[in-house]
Amino acid sequence: MTSFTCDESVSLCEGNMMEVCGSTDSCLREFGCEQSLLSRPDGSASFVQGDTSVLAGVYGPAEVKVSKEIYDRATLEVLVQPKVGLPTVKERSQEQCVRETCEASLLLTLHPRSSLTLVLQVLHDDGSLLSCSLNAACMALMDAGLPMSCLFCGVTCAIDADGRIITDPTAAQEKESRALLTFAVDSTERKVLMSSTRGSFSVHELQQCIAVSQKASEKIFQFYRDSVRRRYSKTL
Amino acid sequence: MPTDTKRVRGPEVSQSPSVFQCKPAAALPSCGVRADGRQRDQLDVRPVFVRCGLVSQAKGSAYIEAGNTKLMCCVYGPRETKRKDETDMKCGRLTADMRFAPFSCPERGSWIQSSQDKDFSLMLLESLQPAVCLHKYPRSQIEVNVMVLENSGSVLAHAITCASLALADAGIEMYDLVLGCSIRQDGASYVVDPTYVEENSCGSASEENQGGLTVAFLPSLNQISGLQSDGEMTKESLTDGIRTCIEGCYKLYPVVQQALAKAVRKAAPPPSES
Amino acid sequence: MAAGFKTAEPLEYHRSFLKENCRSDGRELSEFRTTTLNIGSISTSDGSALVKIGNTTVICGIKAELANPTVESPGKGYMVPNVDLPPLCSSRFQAGPPGEQAQAASQFIVDVIESSEMIQTEDLCIERGKLCWVLYCDLMCLDYDGNVLDACIIALLAALKNTQLPEVKINTETCLPEVTSEKKHRLKIYRHPVGASFGIFDDSILIIDPTAEEEILLTAQLTVVTDEEGRLCSVHKPGGTSLSGEKLQECITRATTRQKEIQKLIDKVIESVKTAQ
Repeated sequence: MTSFTCDESVSLCEGNMMEVCGSTDSCLREFGCEQSLLSRPDGSASFVQGDTSVLAGVYGPAEVKVSKEIYDRATLEVLVQPKVGLPTVKERSQEQCVRETCEASLLLTLHPRSSLTLVLQVLHDDGSLLSCSLNAACMALMDAGLPMSCLFCGVTCAIDADGRIITDPTAAQEKESRALLTFAVDSTERKVLMSSTRGSFSVHELQQCIAVSQKASEKIFQFYRDSVRRRYSKTL
Repeated sequence: MPTDTKRVRGPEVSQSPSVFQCKPAAALPSCGVRADGRQRDQLDVRPVFVRCGLVSQAKGSAYIEAGNTKLMCCVYGPRETKRKDETDMKCGRLTADMRFAPFSCPERGSWIQSSQDKDFSLMLLESLQPAVCLHKYPRSQIEVNVMVLENSGSVLAHAITCASLALADAGIEMYDLVLGCSIRQDGASYVVDPTYVEENSCGSASEENQGGLTVAFLPSLNQISGLQSDGEMTKESLTDGIRTCIEGCYKLYPVVQQALAKAVRKAAPPPSES
Repeated sequence: MAAGFKTAEPLEYHRSFLKENCRSDGRELSEFRTTTLNIGSISTSDGSALVKIGNTTVICGIKAELANPTVESPGKGYMVPNVDLPPLCSSRFQAGPPGEQAQAASQFIVDVIESSEMIQTEDLCIERGKLCWVLYCDLMCLDYDGNVLDACIIALLAALKNTQLPEVKINTETCLPEVTSEKKHRLKIYRHPVGASFGIFDDSILIIDPTAEEEILLTAQLTVVTDEEGRLCSVHKPGGTSLSGEKLQECITRATTRQKEIQKLIDKVIESVKTAQ
């Protein structure tokens, strides 16, 4: 399995096979993904949404430190590395969000007393960073071949001063917005796994944003499906 | 200075408003009645409020309030030692950690433990160790955590009392309680249980006989387990000071006993008549 | 017997209670623990509050210091909140720098302050570009029995309401600030955000205000922060199992009533402190 991954990554790099989803819909920016681009981790992916780009690497299941061992499931660690400098309190809070989302979808009980490490390296932040991190994380977990009960994706919505909802905002749009909501949506029931918000908003706006995110998630899940199908159709 | 990435950071530098005070604070009188109305050169300790067993998560806990000095202590253990190389097969390990809340002093403190905190932690540990029957807890460790919520002087003395009370509340076997008392020598006169201001001001600057003294005392064994003094004091005033501190500890004893008895009664109510 | 069952099979133990629509501590599923508030107990701080939700105890002390405003926002002061979970409050926390939970809680408090606009940092400015206040809001957990976020928000809000800042003028000759500590003024609090935390048990059962024991067993946690106008300041759900729309609505409704209860409590305590003086 690992040798296959290595070969695949080489061919991907050479041919520059970055898959890109067309930006026919104005809702989401152009997004793309490349899997198995790193040779050292057990699974890796880079996810690009407009100019926002996150690189993810998964290590594991591997041996776990005794102090972190959980007897009935795997220990998942998530590390978020910012573009510059050391991780701060903000990155720690993102780590918590990504980790608990992954924990909900991964079948950790299949690998008791082992460790999983997910490293997210921010390459560029141009808004919707948390949702891009979530998408990269999901693709990397898929690439590592870890058993999951469902997939998940992240969608960020911004509410601007006029009350309009912008999905997948850029950094400039984020700055002008009145509120910013990020959700993680699961692939089976389209329910909200994670929610992280900034700014104040009404209940109605929250519900609207959730609905918009659920709709946008369809597109991302379809992209997941297409990219995986294309990748494996070549080898199988 | 390395930046702390694990906390929310503020501006690089900030100063306490007290630095720019219009009127300088009035100097403390070096004779006569003390600022809080207590008597000088007498065994006038602040009234103490003590409670046991406040923290639900801890094995034992205690809270002490003397004047405005407020601190609490939690005891965890005996439990397995975290570091295997430090495991002692014959004897338990006692650890003490004393911290000041950032808002506890007139000047804001840092979250990071200062060297003073570490000194206090060590002195606390050394004062408590002789009183705990550590040979009864082989291969395990007992953790004592003290948090100073408000520092209004004599912190170490009260921390010792509070910690021994928490140890007792946790049901750790001990030879005796440890009580703490401190005095401040200021020239010819002295003040018992000094406040923060009294501790940090030198009334008569040029005089020699200046210093602080904290005694940890085992009341029923009549032994001293910890003695800490700083400043310059004559031999006579030092011995007198120790004697005064011991008397101060005896004054504290009934209050502490009552609090402990109350906690025990609450934990195990006497069997009802039926 | 019951204690042994609880230690050996904590999940089954709690399930057996939830089956009967109650909790192991005798509460109903949607019942908060008693919340008590003590304001202004720390005299060394500029504002302080101690909050107890059941056994969970959080103390907040606010210290104001003077600093130069940043170049980017010369007309604004600073708010620096930090949450600490010292080893004193529970055996699950280690000594040393704050762990992930404490850091995530600090970030959450930062977000709540910003989102709710409870304080206008413009009010903390003394002279544009020269001098402003820094409010260090240090929150410390003294007893960790679950739901520390709710307790932190209440402690912060009450402590800010208790805060008094001395009057500061800049001396035109020396260009140094002059502090008159006799004249003090209160902070203006624009909004009163209050949080309500929920837990999801076994992927489906919604419980409110979880204890430390319950927190370990939960499959997801959710904190909803609302202000007095019913606007949402934060819907914080860091992962975990999913939540349906109806359940979320239920949580929001409960959070709104909770906000009213807590604001009433804070007002009452502040009133009693005033009359006592």
